[in-house]
Amino acid sequence: MSNAIIPLLLDSLASAALIFFAAVGLTLVFSVLRVLNVAHGTLYSIGGYVAASACLFIASRQLNPYLSFVALLFSAVFVAATLGPLIERSLIRWTYGKSEAVQILITFGLFLILEDLQRLIFGVQSFYEDAPMRLLGTTSIGGVVYLNYQILLIGLALLVVIGLRLLINHTRLGRLITAVVADREMAQSIGIDTNRIFILAFSLGVFLAALGGALATPTSGVAPGLGADIMVLAFAVAAIGGLGQIEGAAVASVIVGLARVLAIYWVPALDAVAPYAAMLVVLLIRPYGLFGSVTARRI
Amino acid sequence: MLSLDKVNVSIEGVRVLREVSCGIDEGKTTVLIGRNGAGKTTTLRAIMGLLRLDSGSIRLAAEDLDRMPPHYRAHAGIGYAPEDRRLVPELSVEENIRLPSLALKLDRAETARKLDEVYGLLPELKVMRSRPAGGVSGGQGKMVALGRALTVARRVLLLDEPFQGLAPALALDYARTLGELRKRRPELAMLITESSPALLDRIADRTLQIERGEILVTSAKDRTTHASAI
Repeated sequence: MSNAIIPLLLDSLASAALIFFAAVGLTLVFSVLRVLNVAHGTLYSIGGYVAASACLFIASRQLNPYLSFVALLFSAVFVAATLGPLIERSLIRWTYGKSEAVQILITFGLFLILEDLQRLIFGVQSFYEDAPMRLLGTTSIGGVVYLNYQILLIGLALLVVIGLRLLINHTRLGRLITAVVADREMAQSIGIDTNRIFILAFSLGVFLAALGGALATPTSGVAPGLGADIMVLAFAVAAIGGLGQIEGAAVASVIVGLARVLAIYWVPALDAVAPYAAMLVVLLIRPYGLFGSVTARRI
Repeated sequence: MLSLDKVNVSIEGVRVLREVSCGIDEGKTTVLIGRNGAGKTTTLRAIMGLLRLDSGSIRLAAEDLDRMPPHYRAHAGIGYAPEDRRLVPELSVEENIRLPSLALKLDRAETARKLDEVYGLLPELKVMRSRPAGGVSGGQGKMVALGRALTVARRVLLLDEPFQGLAPALALDYARTLGELRKRRPELAMLITESSPALLDRIADRTLQIERGEILVTSAKDRTTHASAI
């Protein structure tokens, strides 16, 4: 039994890391644009499809398999650079300052469009290429075998937490984002081009989601429906952590990851319910999330 | 310097400014007097591009501001201190004052020069520069907002009800600071709104009165030289 605890913990942390990539982008976009993007999960799955296609291409041409790692990263960059500005400029910007109902309807429409586009381009079969995971191999400590790829995922998630915190607190862009989050009109009045900040923040959110999807493919592959699945998980995480909270999203991801893996281990039937049970408990005790407050719109 | 020509503005379908025309001149302090709800703040917000004009135009020198995005005003040298301060609470006082320099991409030397200018005029800000802006009093917050606006105001400074809610001693300080500012920046065009004319009588070159969105008196008092005003 105790032998099973550590791999279980690693499993939950690795799954938490993937959820975190999706959730932190969602929460970042929400705090800067004040739009809850219902299509965010689909950007995760599109990132997954692009990455899996790139990895399959590399495998089919028998190129250096280590190129797959580059492919994972560049797939996310590619999705963010193309879809990020396009979606923000063409759709999201019309919803600024509108009621939440309008924002949710419009982003839900975007979700439907993107899901169908994804089916149109990548078909309905699942994509799976685990070269990056196989390349990293395993480590055996005390008779327990670990997947190094899982450790990489956890490390990358921590890197994103630290990187985002450094970006927000110690760079010019971060300062400008903080000002826009605090007060849009004031930000404009002191010379900040808020449109530019919105495009950048949205694209950064898309990048993080697409990166999560790309990193997820070597472990579990991508299939239709992944976008919706990850969206509800990301939303649960954002709600538990408090909308707009980077570290909150990290802690909440671990809670959701643990809840899921423990449920799968002990009561598999509750797998799908566990994250929401965790959300319910947290929100009953702290209605604005673990790190949120009534006025919280900070980063 | 700054001129409004037949400006009409509505907020949620209600006309708030009607045919407002006025000029804010270089080197002059113009005071806009009006009761609550008369349209003072709306006038300033319209100048800053935060509200859309129904009709009319706002020009800076020869340049039409209407077609420019809101953030362009700061780049063109119009500084604005809103009545409710609007500081970033989690940043320090100094970080708040530095924000415009970051936004306007000023180089290090220029940023330091602006900061010196602000601290020279408002030495009390230097004392509390590392405190979080969320923790300063309302009156101190007004000073921070003035300092922040000054780093932007190369040509025009807009102050919205600077004395509103200030303790008498602070109000006196603030008025003295504005007098000092006029000496240090003789070319600056200033527009200050206030609900009571008495407070700004001594620093006003020109007084405009606004009532129900209309400017009633365009020139109550024109002083030719400024020296007599201080």
